[in-house]
Amino acid sequence: MSDASTLRRIVEYLRPYSVWVGVALVSVLATSFLGPLIPKLVQVTIDQEIVAGDVEGIRRMIVLLIGVLAAESVLSFVNAYLTQWIGQQAIYDLRTRVYRHIQRQSLRFFDGQPIGRLITRATSDVESLSQVLSAGLVTILGDAFKIFFIAWFMFSLNWQLALVTISVMPIMLYATFWFKRKVRDAYRDTRAQVARLNAFMQEHVSGMRIVQLFGREGEEMRRFEAVNDDHREAHLRTIFYFALFWPAIDLVSSIALGLVIWYGGLSAMTSTLTVGVLIAFIQYARQFFEPMRNLSDQFNTLQSAMAGAERIFDLLDTDASILEASEPRALGTVRGRIAFRNVWFSYDPEARVGDDGAEWVLKDVSFEVKPGQSLAIVGATGAGKTTIISLLLRFYDIQGGDILLDGVSIRDVRLRELRDQIGLVLQDVFLFSGTIGENITLGLPGIGTDACERAVDAIGARPFVGRLPGGLDHEVRERGALLSHGQRQLVSFARALVHDPRILVLDEATSSVDTETEEVIQRALERLMEGRTTVAIAHRLSTVQHADQILVLHHGQIRERGSHQELLRQDGLYRRLYELQYSEQAA
Amino acid sequence: MGPLSRLNSYYWTYRHLFIPGLLFAVISSVFAMIVPTVVRRAIDAIPQFVVTWNAVRGTPVESLVYWDLFSTLAFMGVAIVGLSILSGIFSFLMRQTVVVASRHIEFDLRNRLYDHLQRLSSGFYMTHPTGDLITRSTSDIEQVRRYIGPAIMYTTRAVVTIGTALTVMFVISPKLTLYALIPMPFLGLSVFLVARMVHVRSDRLQAQYSVLSSRVQEALAGIRVVKAYASEAVEEERFKRESAAYRERSLDLARVEAAWRPVFVFLVGLSSIFVVWKGGALVIEGSISLGNIAEYMIYVALMTWPVASMGFVITMVQRASASMTRLGDVFDAEPEIAGPLQPGDTRVRGEITFEHVSYRYPDTDQTVLDGISLHIPAGTTVAIVGRTGSGKTTLMELIPRLVDPVAGRVLVDGRDVREWPLEALRAGIGYVPQDVFLFSDTVGNNIRFGRMDADQEALREAVLDADLADAVEAFPKKYETFVGERGITLSGGQKQRVSLARALIREAPILLLDDALSAVDTGTERAILERLQRHYGRRTVVLVTHRVSAAQSADQILVLDEGAIVERGTHAQLEAAGGFYAALCRKQQLEAELEAMA
Repeated sequence: MSDASTLRRIVEYLRPYSVWVGVALVSVLATSFLGPLIPKLVQVTIDQEIVAGDVEGIRRMIVLLIGVLAAESVLSFVNAYLTQWIGQQAIYDLRTRVYRHIQRQSLRFFDGQPIGRLITRATSDVESLSQVLSAGLVTILGDAFKIFFIAWFMFSLNWQLALVTISVMPIMLYATFWFKRKVRDAYRDTRAQVARLNAFMQEHVSGMRIVQLFGREGEEMRRFEAVNDDHREAHLRTIFYFALFWPAIDLVSSIALGLVIWYGGLSAMTSTLTVGVLIAFIQYARQFFEPMRNLSDQFNTLQSAMAGAERIFDLLDTDASILEASEPRALGTVRGRIAFRNVWFSYDPEARVGDDGAEWVLKDVSFEVKPGQSLAIVGATGAGKTTIISLLLRFYDIQGGDILLDGVSIRDVRLRELRDQIGLVLQDVFLFSGTIGENITLGLPGIGTDACERAVDAIGARPFVGRLPGGLDHEVRERGALLSHGQRQLVSFARALVHDPRILVLDEATSSVDTETEEVIQRALERLMEGRTTVAIAHRLSTVQHADQILVLHHGQIRERGSHQELLRQDGLYRRLYELQYSEQAA
Repeated sequence: MGPLSRLNSYYWTYRHLFIPGLLFAVISSVFAMIVPTVVRRAIDAIPQFVVTWNAVRGTPVESLVYWDLFSTLAFMGVAIVGLSILSGIFSFLMRQTVVVASRHIEFDLRNRLYDHLQRLSSGFYMTHPTGDLITRSTSDIEQVRRYIGPAIMYTTRAVVTIGTALTVMFVISPKLTLYALIPMPFLGLSVFLVARMVHVRSDRLQAQYSVLSSRVQEALAGIRVVKAYASEAVEEERFKRESAAYRERSLDLARVEAAWRPVFVFLVGLSSIFVVWKGGALVIEGSISLGNIAEYMIYVALMTWPVASMGFVITMVQRASASMTRLGDVFDAEPEIAGPLQPGDTRVRGEITFEHVSYRYPDTDQTVLDGISLHIPAGTTVAIVGRTGSGKTTLMELIPRLVDPVAGRVLVDGRDVREWPLEALRAGIGYVPQDVFLFSDTVGNNIRFGRMDADQEALREAVLDADLADAVEAFPKKYETFVGERGITLSGGQKQRVSLARALIREAPILLLDDALSAVDTGTERAILERLQRHYGRRTVVLVTHRVSAAQSADQILVLDEGAIVERGTHAQLEAAGGFYAALCRKQQLEAELEAMA
C-alpha cells in the first residue's frame, strides 16, 4: 500500500465529522490571519497616531489590538480543542472497529497470534494515528496559511524589505533539515540504546537469582556499565546537535534582524519607509520562522504514524472469521440431539481428507447422543478430547464429515443461535474482572438478578457466595486468583445454569478438590445435567459411571465405546485409563 | 528540598562541569541582552539621518551622508549578528557542560541502582515487581536528571535574563517597565498551573490506557468463554465503555493543553500592546524615543520564555523529588542475605545436613517446610518426590541461601550456611532451577555463564553430559547461535538442557536439579542421568523429580508432603511400603503400558 492511499484511508475516518473539520479549517484560517495582523496594526499605531501625537488615536488602536489579540487567543483555543475532539472521535471509531474485527475472528486466528500483538494493534498502533487524525492535518494547513499571511503582510508593507527578510529562508531551511536528519539518526540510536538498557534491566531483574546463584555479580555489573555507557554516549550525541541547533536558529533570526535594520534603515532615508514599518518587520522576522519549524515537525509525526496505520490496515484486511451461512436455517425448539458423522479435523487449515501426511487430530469420528442423554469422553492427554467440544461449538470448521444438531448441520445455523443452545464449562475457569454476578450473567441482557440468585441457590453455591463481602456484588480480583478452585468451578456452573442451555459441554477439572467441596460440586453437576444433553470430558469417576455412553479416544480415533460396566469387562484401554485416573477416587 | 539533597555529592563530583557551565549561561544571556539596545540605537539614529539627508539632498555631500548611514547601519547589523554568535557559542558550551553533566550523573545513579539491586535477595523481589523496578531505573532516573540538568540551566538563564532586562528597562523608564511587566507574573503562574494540570491529567490518561489494554487482554484471553456464550456484543460494549472513558480522559488533557497556548499568546501579546500604548504616550511626551519602544518589545519577547520556564521548573522539581523518594526506597533496602563480615577462604566438599528446618513465606502463616531433618553424605544422590506445593523447591533453595530458614539450620560440610562466605558457598553449587531462565545471548555464553573461565574443552564436555551436543550441531551458528527473540527459539527440553549444561560446567561438588528435565522425554532423561552417573560418587546430587525412572537409582528417596518428609528409603524399600511412592510407580507403569498400546 502506498503512503498516499494509506493516508486516504486514515482520512476516511474523519468523514463522519466533516462538518466539524470544516469549522476547524475556518477557525484555523482566521487565526492564521489574526496573528500576523497585530504587527501591522502596531505599525499603523506608530506611524499614524504616535508620530502624529494623537493620544486618543493611540487608545482607539489599543482597543482594536486587544480585541484582535483576544479573538486570536479564543480562536486558537477553539482550533486546538476542536481538532483534538475530532481526532479522538475518529480514534474511538477506529479502535472499536479494530476490536470488533479481532473479536469476530475464529479461534484458528487466535492460535497463530500472540495476544500481546493483538493488544498492541488495538491500543498503541491506534494511538499512533491520533496525532495525524487530530492536530496533524489541520495544523499543517494552519502553518501553511500562516506563512502565506505573514508573507502577504510583509510584501504589502514593502516588497523590497520583504525579499531581503525572506532571503535568509534558504539558510533556515537548510539548517533545519540538516538538524532534523542528524537528530533523527541520533534519536534512532538513542531509542535503540534505551531499548537495550531496558532489555538488560528487564532480563537481569527477572533473572537476578541466576546471577546471584552463579556468582556473576561482578561480571554482570561490568556489562551493565558498558550498556549504560553506550546509552549515555547516544544521549551526548543528541545533546551536541541540540546545543548546535538552538544557537543556529537564533543566529538565523539575528541575521534577518540585522538585514532588516540595515536595509530598512537605508530605505527609510532614501524612500518612504517609516519607523513603524521597520518595527513591524522586526516582529515579522521573528514570527516567520516558527511555522516553518512546526511544518518539519509535522512531517516527522506523519511518517511515524504511517507505520502504525499500515499494521492496522493489514489486520483489518485479513479476515479469518467463521463464515456464517448465507441462508441460515432456524433451529426452532431444540431437543438436543447431537451427531458427529465421520468427522475429520486438523488444526492445519490446508489439510485435506485423504492426505496421510497431515496431522489429523480427529480421524473419522462418529457418534450420536440422544436428547437428554450424557456422553463421557475419556482418553490420554492429546487424544483429541478438547477438540471435540471445540468443534461442537464451531470454534473451528472441520475438513471432512458433518456435525449435526437435531439433524441440522451446524454450518447451516447462525453461530449465535448455535452457541445459545450450548453451555460450556471449562476446566480452567476463566473469570473476568467485575462482580461475581457479572461473571455469572456475563452481562447478557435478559438475565435478571433473581435468575442469578436462583442459579446460585440451585447450584449450591449459596454458602460460599453468602460469605463473600457484598455477595453477588463482590468484585473478583486478579481474575479470581483469590477464590479457590472449587469456588471458581461453582461460579462457572452457575454461569452455565443461568443461561439454561439445551446442551451442556463440560471439560472437567483434573485437579482434585477436598472431599467436602467435591460433594458440593457433585450435587451441582447432577443439578446442572438434569434434563440436558451432556458431553463431558470426564475426569470424575462419578461422571463416567453415570454416563449413558462412554467414548474412549486414542490418538484421534474412537477405540472403544459402551457403558462403564461393559468397557471394564473388555479389559482394554478403558480399563487401564480407569485404573490410572480413577483408582485414587475409588479408594 | 528533602530527598533531592541526596544529589548534592554528585554536584560536587561534577563541579568541573557545573561551575563553568553556569558561568557560560550567564555570559550567553548577557550577550543576548545587548542586542535590543543595538536595535534601539539604530532606530533612533534613522530619523536624524533622514533629517540630515533631506537637508543635503542634491548637494555633493549627499553620497557622504549616504555612506555614513550605510556604514553605521551595516556596523549595527554586523553587531547584532556578532552578538548572536557570541551568545550562541556560550549557549552551546553551556549545554555541553550542564546537560552533559546531568547525563553523567544519570549514568552514575543508574550504575549504583543496578549494583544495589544485585545485592538484594528474593524477599525484596517478591515485594517489588520487575516492571516497577524498570520504571525506577528509567523514568524515575530521567525525572531526576531533568532536575539536575535542564532545571538548573533554565533557572540560571532566567535569573540572568530577567535581571538584565529589568535593569536596562528600569533605567530607560520605570513607568513603562511596570506596565510591560503586568502580565508577567500571570504568565509564570499560569504556566505552573497548566503544567501541574497537564501532569495530573496525563497520569490519569495513562492509567485509563492501562485499563483499556487490560480490558482487551482479558477479552482475548477469555475468547473461548466469550464466544461460547455468544457474549461478543456485551464484551464490545464494555470495551467501548473503556474506550469512551479513554477518549474523555484524552479530551480532559486536550482542554488544558489547548488553553495553554492561547493564554501564553494572550499574555505575551498584552505586554507588547501595553508597551505600544504607554510607550506611545511617553514618546509623545518626549521622555522616550521610538527606538525604546522597539527595544522594549524585544526585551518582552526575550523575557517570555525564561518566565514561562520557571513554571516548568517548579513542576520538574516536584516530580524529581517524588522520583528520588522512590529511588531512595531501593537504595535504602538492606540486603537480607549477606555473607559474614570476615570471609574465610574455603571450598565446599559436598556434605549437606538439615537440622529441624522450617520455612514460612514472609508475612504469612503458611508453613512451607516444617521441621525437616536430613543428612546427605558427600558424593551421594538424593531424590525428592511429592505433590505440587509440598515444599520441594523451597528445600532446594535453602541450600545456596536463596532463602534463609525461619527455624533450624542448614549445614554444608558441617558449617551453617549463614556462616559461609556467600561467594564460596555458591561457587560450590551447580543449580538447575525449575523455571529455566536463559539470557538473550549465545548458547555458548549462556553455558559459560556457569564458569567464565571455562575453555572450549570444558564447554564441549558439559554439552555432551547434558545431551545437547547434537542439538548444538544442528543450530545455524553452533555455539554462537543466539537464543530468544534475536535468535532461535529453543524447545522446552533444549532450554532445560542448556540450563543443565550451565550448571554442569561449574564442576561443583553439589548439583541441585529442581525438576530440571520435566520437558525432556523419558528416554533422553535416562541417557542424561546415566552420564551423570559417572559423577555420582564424585558429586552430591539432590534432584526433585516426578518420574520414578529418574528417582529409582538414588541412594535415598524422600517423599515430601505438606512440608514434611512422609516416606524415606531406597526405591526397593519404598515400593514395598505401599505409600505415595508405590502408587506413583504403579501409575507410571500404567502410563507406559497405555503408550505401548498405541
